[in-house]
Amino acid sequence: MNKLQGQIIEIETSGNISIVSVTVNEKVKLKAIVIETPSTAPYLKVGATIAMLFKETEVVMGTDAQHAISLQNKISGTIKHIEKGTLLSKIIMESSAGEIIALISTNAVNQLHLKVGMNAMAMVKLNEVMISEI
Amino acid sequence: MIKIDIQKKLHAAHGEMILNLNLQIEQGELVAIYGPSGAGKTSTLKILSGLLNPDSGTLSVNNNLWFDNKQKINLKPQQRKVGYLFQDYALFPNMTVLQNLAFALSKNQDRSILNELIEMVELGELQHRKPNTLSGGQKQRVALARALVQRPQILLLDEPLSALDRKIRSKLQNYILSIHRKYYLTTILISHDIGEIHKLADKVILLEDGKISKQGTPTEIFINQKVSGKFKFTGEVLSIEKEDVVYIVTVLIQNQIVKVIAQSTEIEGFQIGDQVMVASKAFNPIIYKID
Repeated sequence: MNKLQGQIIEIETSGNISIVSVTVNEKVKLKAIVIETPSTAPYLKVGATIAMLFKETEVVMGTDAQHAISLQNKISGTIKHIEKGTLLSKIIMESSAGEIIALISTNAVNQLHLKVGMNAMAMVKLNEVMISEI
Repeated sequence: MIKIDIQKKLHAAHGEMILNLNLQIEQGELVAIYGPSGAGKTSTLKILSGLLNPDSGTLSVNNNLWFDNKQKINLKPQQRKVGYLFQDYALFPNMTVLQNLAFALSKNQDRSILNELIEMVELGELQHRKPNTLSGGQKQRVALARALVQRPQILLLDEPLSALDRKIRSKLQNYILSIHRKYYLTTILISHDIGEIHKLADKVILLEDGKISKQGTPTEIFINQKVSGKFKFTGEVLSIEKEDVVYIVTVLIQNQIVKVIAQSTEIEGFQIGDQVMVASKAFNPIIYKID
């Protein structure tokens, strides 16, 4: 799983659900939606340090930052490593939030012509991000 | 239900210590006692079995008093229906497996229990062998069966599996669990193995310096990393297979088998039989009614 540590900058709550915004290294902003509120989870406090967790298989890779797309979490970086399998490939991208690992189809790697050294964008839906207390 | 409210002064390695227990255990529960050496874990089991007398307090099992220092009630070990299993098998070397079990029968007790237990722990082919021809795991199965001959209501396990290797230990854990459930025992297990506690115990009691410092489910006590995922289960790793650039990890969660895709860094240090946490978000699973 990808694990990025950051500080909570905003918590929007409606009923039992909250959207938590976190900055990682003060550069990258990530959001997570959770069935928690500051009253059910005391670690949900603006300024608190927490970890954002998401599965490699849930990461979407793109090459252009200007997509009109609903994905809330976009992290730009440089591809550092590609390991191609028959069906799936593992991509390691270096970003200002740290290393992001993505598992995407080998077909998609070929179609996008992803190569080591290229600039790329890793994206993940906010409902795929878990929060963990440090 | 076992109700314990007792005090006992113990002479521990680092001086005197007061064991002060106030605890209730429901019938049919499997409770693990976890804590550092010298915390009073073995003394607790000895007090339950009647091998050690408390200084004060009461001990009752299903509303029958076993110990009450004010009323001067103190049942002898043989009057308490308790099975006790230690790390040391303590089998009689000159007797066969069957004779070892038969020796534990009480006067006029029906011998049919012997066959039932021999089948339960799969000792049929070994029943006429002497202990010195058996492996450690086999000896511990004999000792487990012997602890059950008198049909106890309570089974006390004092680190019974800690000397066995991982694979045998896992097998013995399965025997303990099926025996615990079949005979609806109340079982109290001392263990240092967190994986074992996750697999076996309904509840954990953390004992430190003679006092209960914490109690809860194994997940509450040991999984201190609070992940927000609402779809969380602990299970046992059954297999890890490499498939392309990922691994398929098969996990037994209660009696269901699930599969999780993982990549190399996630499963570093995983071994078959390890206890793991499987977590996902409440947003991911689909749900539908079974017709």
